[in-house]
Amino acid sequence: MNFPLSISDIGLWLAITAIILLVTSEFLSSSTTYLRDIVIDRTRLRLISIGVGLAFMATVIMRIFQPL
Amino acid sequence: MKTLNPSKSSKPQETEEETAQAELSTTQYLVETIKQLQTRNEHLKLELLKTRRIPSGKIGLAFLVPGAVSLGFSIYTNSPVLAFIGLGLTFWGALFFFARPIKYVRSSLLDSAAIASYTTIDRIVKDLNYKGKSFYIPPYPKDVYLPEYLKGLKNMIVFISANEGASMPSIEDIAQNRFLIQKPKGISVAPPGLGLLTLIENEMQTDITTLNLTELCENLAKTILENFQLAKDLKITPEEEKIHIQITDSIYKQLYSKEENLKSIHFLGSPIISAIACAIAKNTGKTVTIQKDKVSLDGQTITVELQFRRE
Repeated sequence: MNFPLSISDIGLWLAITAIILLVTSEFLSSSTTYLRDIVIDRTRLRLISIGVGLAFMATVIMRIFQPL
Repeated sequence: MKTLNPSKSSKPQETEEETAQAELSTTQYLVETIKQLQTRNEHLKLELLKTRRIPSGKIGLAFLVPGAVSLGFSIYTNSPVLAFIGLGLTFWGALFFFARPIKYVRSSLLDSAAIASYTTIDRIVKDLNYKGKSFYIPPYPKDVYLPEYLKGLKNMIVFISANEGASMPSIEDIAQNRFLIQKPKGISVAPPGLGLLTLIENEMQTDITTLNLTELCENLAKTILENFQLAKDLKITPEEEKIHIQITDSIYKQLYSKEENLKSIHFLGSPIISAIACAIAKNTGKTVTIQKDKVSLDGQTITVELQFRRE
């Protein structure tokens, strides 16, 4: 019963999520028409995306020192 | 016997009067209690409504639960596909908790709605030929008991004096919520930023009278900028008996424009300045006046100096 994802899998997922979140946080400021009744805390969203991006970088560093 | 009769009859009459008086005070007390309970009930209803109004929380849960289940199964079945699905669902479920439903209106609507009240005050002041200042008079705390005839003292008011060197209006005039005040000559109106102050207090969730002045200034600037986004930048600097305010790109900047040519904006302040003045008056318990204001050439930055007035 091991976790089925390797570090590279998690790294890939983190990278994609970070990109989606960063694009979303940038997109939110300009498209208020579509999100008129919903407020997403942009600062928090950007912080999370940066955090996810840093997590991806951590997986990259881990792969440098532990290639397999 | 005849002479004794009135004294005998007056005793029960006195007792009756006392009973009636006691009944009256009990009724007044009960009415007061009912009023307090009704207000509390309204507050509780609002709180309940607030907690109910998070549909995005339900959506978040709908994502989180299957996500967690999927992650659990992925470990059990050793399936990377389930793990990816689980990670994705859990993450987006958590993200939905950050989404809050709210109704937005255009910011231009705010200043256009405020212009009417400033124009009215302008016309009143011009008609009465007043050349004085405005004084933000601190109210009595809401939880302090005051008799019915002094209840008006709990309302925040701004007194516009007829002359520069005017003294404060009497307690009776303030308590009776009078508009035209004769001694000293002037008018008393509700501050334009009173509604905004109530919103700020609700957002801060703290009693502003319990904070010290520096804390209050920091919290006010933070709430106005981050929670309400009413300006791009706001600096509130407390000094000894003075407060310097600098607002950049406020949504009420149009009120200071030459096209509008409002006079009252300079002695009452924009709703943001008025709310800050109200908050400082409430916090310090001193009368606050707008000493001077300055608008930058491009109309983007407004600098205001508030002064406390010792009574």
